[in-house]
Parts: sequence; C-alpha cells; structure tokens
Amino acid sequence: MKNKIPLFLLERPAPESFARSEGVLKMPFIEKGIHHLADVIKTGYIQWETASKDDFFQKIDARVKILFLLFYVVIVSLKRDIAAQVVIGAFVFILALISRLNIVAIYKRVLFWGFIFGFLVALPSAFNIITQGEILVPILRLSKHYSFWIYHVPEEIGITKQGMLGVVMLTLRVMNSLALSFLVSFTTPFPEIMRALLMLKVPDTFVIILTLSYKYIFMFAKTVEDIHLAKKSRLASRVSNAEARRWIAGRFAFIFKKTQLRCEEIFKAMVGRGFSDNIRLHGFRQFTSRDWSTGIVLCLIGALLLWI
Amino acid sequence: MIVEKFLELERINYSYYDKIPALCDVSLGLKQGERFAVIGANGSGKSTLLQIMNGLIHQSEGAFFFRDKEISEKTLKNKSLLRYFRERVGYVFQDSDVQLFCPTVLDELLYGPLQLEINEKEALDRAFEVMQILNIENLKDRPSYMLSGGEKKRVAIGSVLTMNPEVLLLDEPTNGLDPRTQCFVVELMLALSEAGKTLVIATHDLSLVDELHARVALLSENHRIETVGPSEEVLTDTELLLKVNLIHEHMHSHGEAPHKHRHSHYFSHKH
Repeated sequence: MKNKIPLFLLERPAPESFARSEGVLKMPFIEKGIHHLADVIKTGYIQWETASKDDFFQKIDARVKILFLLFYVVIVSLKRDIAAQVVIGAFVFILALISRLNIVAIYKRVLFWGFIFGFLVALPSAFNIITQGEILVPILRLSKHYSFWIYHVPEEIGITKQGMLGVVMLTLRVMNSLALSFLVSFTTPFPEIMRALLMLKVPDTFVIILTLSYKYIFMFAKTVEDIHLAKKSRLASRVSNAEARRWIAGRFAFIFKKTQLRCEEIFKAMVGRGFSDNIRLHGFRQFTSRDWSTGIVLCLIGALLLWI
Repeated sequence: MIVEKFLELERINYSYYDKIPALCDVSLGLKQGERFAVIGANGSGKSTLLQIMNGLIHQSEGAFFFRDKEISEKTLKNKSLLRYFRERVGYVFQDSDVQLFCPTVLDELLYGPLQLEINEKEALDRAFEVMQILNIENLKDRPSYMLSGGEKKRVAIGSVLTMNPEVLLLDEPTNGLDPRTQCFVVELMLALSEAGKTLVIATHDLSLVDELHARVALLSENHRIETVGPSEEVLTDTELLLKVNLIHEHMHSHGEAPHKHRHSHYFSHKH
C-alpha cells in the first residue's frame, strides 16, 4: 500500500496559505435556511419533552384533548362577537399557563401565523370597497365614484368600522384556533395523538399517512442537516448565494430521492414485521376519574361559552 | 521553547438542543503525525467530538486549537482561517450516504480540490490517482446511490484524500464493511499514517484500535474522558472497559457447566 500512495499526498500544505485571503464570512441566506430546517428536529424534541411533562393538560387522556380541540374550534367558529373570542383566548391562555408550557414560544407562533393568515388575509375587507359602513380612517379621495360590474368604488376610500371589526374578528378566530392546536400538540406526544385519532375511528390509512409524513419531515430535516455538514467540511471559502442556490436546486431532488428511499425502507420494515393496512394498538389506557372530570368541566365551559 | 499546540481541546462541553449532554469537560492534546483513537460505547460522544474537531459544530464551553489557532464559530468566519483549517483537516463521516452528495463519483472526488481553488488539471490528476489506490476507477461515472456499502466508503475516503489534509478524522471507518474492505481500509490508514498524516478515528471496534497501535482516549457513558494512553495499556484494562460498557460479561456452556467471563470480541480469553 505504501508504494501506491500518490505523491501529492506526501506534500505538506504551504505555510503561507493562512494569510492568502482576508475578510470575514457572513452566513449566507441559504445556509440560514438550512439551519432553520434543522431546527425542526430541535422543535420536535422540545415538543416531545413538554408533552411528556407531568402537568395539568399533559395528564389528560389524548382522546379528551382531541375532542376538546374539535369542540372548541367549532365554538370559535360559531361565536360572532369579539368579547366571546377574547374570553376563549383568555381561557386557552390560562390552560397553557397551568400546563407550564413555554408561553413566549407558543404565543410568538400564534401571533406570527395569526398575523399572516388572519390579519393580512382579512385586511382588504376593512376598506369600504368591500365592507360598507362608517369610515374610521380615510385613506384616499377620488374625484368621483366608479362603478363596474358588481364593484363600486366610492369617492372616498377608507377603513370602515364594520370592516375593521370583521378583520379583528377573523384574526382572533385564527389566533384562538392556533392557540388551541398548539395547546393540544404541545401537551400530547405525537404517537398519543395518532392513537387517539384511531380510537376515535379516524380511518387507518389517514393515520398511516400522517404518521409517515411526520416521520418523513424529521428524516428529511436530518438528511439535509447531515449533507449540509458534509458539504461544510469540504468547503474552504464562502460560497456565493447564486452558487448556493444552484447547489440546493441540484441537490434537492437528490435529497428528496434519498429520504424517499429511506421512507420506503421503513415501510418495507413495517411490512416485514406483519403490517397489512390495519394498525393494531396495544395498551389502551382506561379513562381515569381525572379524564372524566376534566372532560365534563371542559364540556360545560364550552357550552357556557356557546350560550353567552 | 514554546511548543505549538497541534490539535488541542480544552475543557470542551457540548449538548444537543442545549439539553442532552454529549461531551462534558473533555480535554485532549494530539501530536502531529500520530495515530489517535477515540473509543467508547454507543452514544458516548465520539462522533460529536470528531465533528467539533472538524469545526462542523462548536463547543458550548471550552476551547479548541489547531496549530495554536483557536477554532470556534466566531474565528471560522475569518475566510483565511476557514480555508487554512479546511485544507488541513478532513473528515470522513460514519454514514457515507450523507457524505456523497455530488452527481457522480468523479464529481465527488473533484469537489474538495476545486473548493480549494486547485487548478482543474491537478484536481483531475489527484482524483485519478486516488481512484487508483482505492480501486474505484471503474466507478467514476456512477452516481453514489448505485454503489455498494464498501464502494461508498472508498469514495467517501477518496473525496477527503483528494484535498490532501494533514489530519484525517475518521468516524467508525470500518463499521458495516465486509472483512476484505475492512482490511483494505486498515491498510490504507496505516499507509497514510506512514506518509505523515495524523489519523484520528472514532470507533468501538477494539481490534481496529489494536491493529493501528493508536494512542487511545476512552470516553465513558457520562460523556467524559475516562483515560488517555497507549492502546496496549487501555485495551488490557478490563475493569475500565467493563465500566464504560465496551466489554460485557458473557455466559456460555463448556460441556454441561455454564460458564461466565468477560467478553470483548478483542481479547483472546482463557478458560
């Protein structure tokens, strides 16, 4: 073997190469994106950890929590006044608080997604072009009004009181629904949620798709992170954003194929251990008095919220 | 006389997700050209240690020096240091699949040299010479997913060798390979060591450590360095190996009588 070692491997790197180039590297946008993708694994771990704690909502049976989620999302959709939405929001906040969840982390997400899917989506409806009413904030005054087809553009364009109330209402609904979902997902381990769905007669195929998709997300994130590290170990200088984009584009299909193959292997392993379309469960947890009493209290509060 | 720190780790701590400890208070010093093995049970932090030594992840506490230059997240933002470090320290991943991300084997071997701005002709020469010693010339146009486990490992090693690093970090280099490929990898490591390369391997294969006659750092299951010493010393300390779960009590029968002894798949034990 010694005789075969190529000559270049016996060469020592030039000592002056340390001073060859100057400057400071900035983390490229693409690299930041990969870091965020890798954070999926961290988030999953944190979620699993908080869900496994022994606090108020964590102790409740997953079936109760799934039914609670469905019931309260329906209530959120049915309530048409802002005060009721605020009360529901406050109630969910108290539940998160007594379950000792990381309030800042959860409500940061609630506010972010609530802003995008609630406020921004509904904002155009605040204008008097869509929602007629009393103008609170005048924006623009045209020389005359315009009408075409079913649309009417008035002389004065502005945000109406009724439109604003609609936007606030929709934003609160989105935020409450998100807070409810986060409350349940952060207090229930994922396998328990799947088990509860099965026991609530959700079709097996649907649960399998959900389970494999969940696993796939983590495998995908892990593969991307590992390949990124392998690339990093052979990178000696900063790669331009354009170059990084080209690499990502070229490698994306490759990574996708790789993780897909891994997923197929997992499915084969499932089949190899006797899986045949039906999920068989073990260790059904019996409802405890705590589950019953919490379920009833949550149900009563829900009914009260519907009534007020 | 001031002695240059070649590869020095000082009180390194690292934990995953800021919660799961992987390394606690690890201090090590490596000399140039030596063969060094980090051994320990699964999950003891061997791979994490190697990744820190390659500047891929960064210690939460402590300091890491390569040739007296501190290597950290902050210092590696300096372009010249990054280049200096990357062209001198190469890392072969445990899972060859993650290391092979280029379209073909040849692209894989050229990736590193081209990153180091070596001219294309020289990079190609290096790639072909490395393919020759690794016996993978016939694979040059193949995509990585069409390679066997042993072929992937050869290509992964080759992809780092074309960069001609001074230090080779090898994570479980013989894991999952057939005996012939294992033998090939060991011979290659010895040849590279004779050529002056510093070899650092992470493994729980004690016979590999013995074959390489490496200096050994033993990581315990609580992620601390238990001892550092020559392989002959560490590998014969059965108490210590038992303590860190690298060997186990093994029960089997001799005729009618059940018999129990310590078992490492490395020692030739006496009955």
